[in-house]
Amino acid sequence: MIAVDILLDGVFAAIAAIGFGAISDPPMRAFPRIALLAAVGHALRFCLMSYASVDIATASLCAAVVIGLGSLWLGRGVRCPMTVLYIPALLPMIPGIYAYKTVFSLIMFLQSLNVPGEGVQYMQQFFLNATVSVSVIIMLAAGATLPIFIFSRRAFSLTRRRKQNQ
Amino acid sequence: MKSKQELTEILDFITEYATYLLGSGVHTSRVIRNSQRIGVSQGVDIQLSSFQKSIIITAHDEHSREAITRVVAIPALPISFERNSDLSALSWDALDERLPLDEIRRRYEKLIAKPRIDPIFVLITVGLANASFCRLFGGDWTAMGIVFTSTLVGFSARQQMQARGVNHFLVFIISAFLASLCASSALFFDCTAETALATSVLFLVPGVPLINGVIDIVDGHILIGVSRLINAMLLIICIAIGLSATLLMIKDSLL
Repeated sequence: MIAVDILLDGVFAAIAAIGFGAISDPPMRAFPRIALLAAVGHALRFCLMSYASVDIATASLCAAVVIGLGSLWLGRGVRCPMTVLYIPALLPMIPGIYAYKTVFSLIMFLQSLNVPGEGVQYMQQFFLNATVSVSVIIMLAAGATLPIFIFSRRAFSLTRRRKQNQ
Repeated sequence: MKSKQELTEILDFITEYATYLLGSGVHTSRVIRNSQRIGVSQGVDIQLSSFQKSIIITAHDEHSREAITRVVAIPALPISFERNSDLSALSWDALDERLPLDEIRRRYEKLIAKPRIDPIFVLITVGLANASFCRLFGGDWTAMGIVFTSTLVGFSARQQMQARGVNHFLVFIISAFLASLCASSALFFDCTAETALATSVLFLVPGVPLINGVIDIVDGHILIGVSRLINAMLLIICIAIGLSATLLMIKDSLL
């Protein structure tokens, strides 16, 4: 049952990555690899969070580093820069529910200014959710970018044609 | 040795190339590397610094000591990863195959004339994507169906407004409002309505400027990195405004 959960998580993440990626007009040849990266990344985060009880920010960082390294490895075959593969693959990990709750609690706070106890509670929720959303997004972006700087020589020449007959 | 005429031609092409890349959502250091690579293939030293809306670019010929500088506006183009990949590959081809400028320009024109992905295909895949996103957040099948439909409404509104050149902040506010309004119909059904509502606007999240901003800042292009992040923040605030309009209407049934 656990295996099915993980697999389903990966499949839905892959569909989400393809769709969100399609908005930014990626080359058709990159789609299978984007889907693979998104599935592996999201399933990894799902495992870390549900079976190893890692918090969402750390788990996102781990998943983002894996996606970044994966895009370095897979980019050469389709002559795509790393960002083309990893930006769509990261999108399914955006903490949507936390972002939504941030907006919701802000509105409720503004609506309950005259009710002393309630207002503080909503403000607390606002900061909690905002902190989680912002730190997860920073972790995602920074984690996937890390490999560019570690392996810069390889990362900068992914779109170079392989030298033939030389 | 390059004559002034040749140097101007090279600079004009590289300027067009660099602004096209920046307009299509490529991070700054890649644009600089690609432009300098084409410069090297033509025997010219290129230096450029980029801002949110314009670039300053100089071509310098070390032998004749001739230098030309231009300030050029960055066009507002839709984000395109395909152009990013193709044009980056072109810069390597220019260097490795020692292409003449005419040939580079010919290939460049061919690459930017390639058709983009069919909008209907994008619409359907975005709908499916947002529905599976809803599933990842623990939504049930009813919620997924509702998110699919409301994404279709929100995203087609966005496509239509963008095609007509409406201000992009307005586009984001209206699309977020329409999508969340449609998703609020989930309150009438026995399903995970809050998840549906939360997911319905997520197709608008400006992922590319957010991540490009972080890359630029880490790369040392802090000024443009911060500009990109502020731009992305403004768009996220617009999404929040659109969503708030719906929430204000239905908040009593959510509590």
